[in-house]
Amino acid sequence: MIRILDPTLRTALSSTASRAPRARHLAGATIGLLANGKSNGIMLLDRIADVLRERHGVGEVVRVAKTNASVPVSDEDAEMLAKRCAAVITAIGD
Amino acid sequence: MRTERDGIDVDDPWEAIEVCYERGWTDGLPVVPPTEALVEHTLAAGPWTPDHVLLFEPVRSRAVTAEKAAINAVMAGCRPEYFPVVGAALTALGDPAFELHGPATSTGGAALMVIVNGPARLHLGVNGTANLFGPGFRANATIGRALRLVLLNCLDCRPGVLDKSTQGWPGKYSLCFAENEEASPWEPLSVARGFRADQSTVTVYAAESGHNVLSHGTRSPERLLALFADAMAGLGSLSPGRSVIVVAPEHAKHLRHAGWDRARTQAWLYEHAWRSLADLKRAGKVEPAFFTNPKLLEWIYRDADGGTPSGPLDPDLAERVTAADEVVRVHRGLGPEDILLCVGGGEAGGHSAFFPSWSRGRSVPFVTREVPS
Repeated sequence: MIRILDPTLRTALSSTASRAPRARHLAGATIGLLANGKSNGIMLLDRIADVLRERHGVGEVVRVAKTNASVPVSDEDAEMLAKRCAAVITAIGD
Repeated sequence: MRTERDGIDVDDPWEAIEVCYERGWTDGLPVVPPTEALVEHTLAAGPWTPDHVLLFEPVRSRAVTAEKAAINAVMAGCRPEYFPVVGAALTALGDPAFELHGPATSTGGAALMVIVNGPARLHLGVNGTANLFGPGFRANATIGRALRLVLLNCLDCRPGVLDKSTQGWPGKYSLCFAENEEASPWEPLSVARGFRADQSTVTVYAAESGHNVLSHGTRSPERLLALFADAMAGLGSLSPGRSVIVVAPEHAKHLRHAGWDRARTQAWLYEHAWRSLADLKRAGKVEPAFFTNPKLLEWIYRDADGGTPSGPLDPDLAERVTAADEVVRVHRGLGPEDILLCVGGGEAGGHSAFFPSWSRGRSVPFVTREVPS
């Protein structure tokens, strides 16, 4: 019998990560759009926002576009989205 | 088979190898089973405590500890004494300026190039001579592989999932080699990058696949370097990004005899690796988005009179070729410092290599770190 060690971060992550509360209703809700910095991300998200308005009657739409796809969203933008939005959608659109 | 939090118990090494496949822990090749004893030996060969974070990837908030790095290094086939090189390379990849998330996940399919300098090359047997990019050398094959396994297993860069490489290339298995300092006409790459010759270093780079630069017919530096510049100016990979040139010893000898130093060679290559803006437009290499991106606009027009387009910024400008575009030179990179020169390969043969950087933008910088002794 031999023991092999786990090369992944599976156990480290399972103890720290948790999901944000889910939005229960979309009607009238403020929705955040976070484009990751690729050239078509904003276009893709705008189409999704159109569909959400038509089908679910979402309210205000808040847009954030990262300037660099390789770095995280700024703390300032993340906090703003968390405060203002019931849900945030992110997209690559490459 | 019994599973616990920190590992899996198996009956024998063959089962261990198959379990690693079943769990998705390999790059497609069999791995060395990472037993506790092997991981302990590997950790003991480096200066880091098991919980020391060697690499933090901020986009997905992943911290790679020395212990996880050691497990992956064992799986890659590293001898314990390679671990300081693996750890130094992970530290370099974790430099915030390297922005690892991009080259690790992009459709561009970059390999993580590791160039080793200094005494570690010799005592670890990192090959910088004949067939330095090819098979046959444990350090070359396994140090780069350890980095790839860390990306797969710790950063979840799985093909088609988070690693969205359109094609990738074989350098993604491992791309680690030494500089052939003994055949270089210049100071070692590490010294050019601010270290002492008696320090061992790793320099990392996000590399697209290499291009052979073949010349047996000239000793003239200008004629020889014109071939490099031509490869660098190929429209397929032309970008404002970086270049790595690995000069073969035979080519390096011609530069040595002619007295060309590193700075002069870099400057000459930058000056001659260009295409006209008209060529770029005819090839569809200019995208409409370039005209709203100050960095890309600067790249395209930096050699133009006034540094801006001669006509109005209309939506067709990306494709419309003007007379002025025929004389606007668009260079590879933004300056000579974007060209990294090192020497590598066997004594015989006129085969050098050019590696373009990942990305159609600036890519990420070269990062050099000392290997702890």
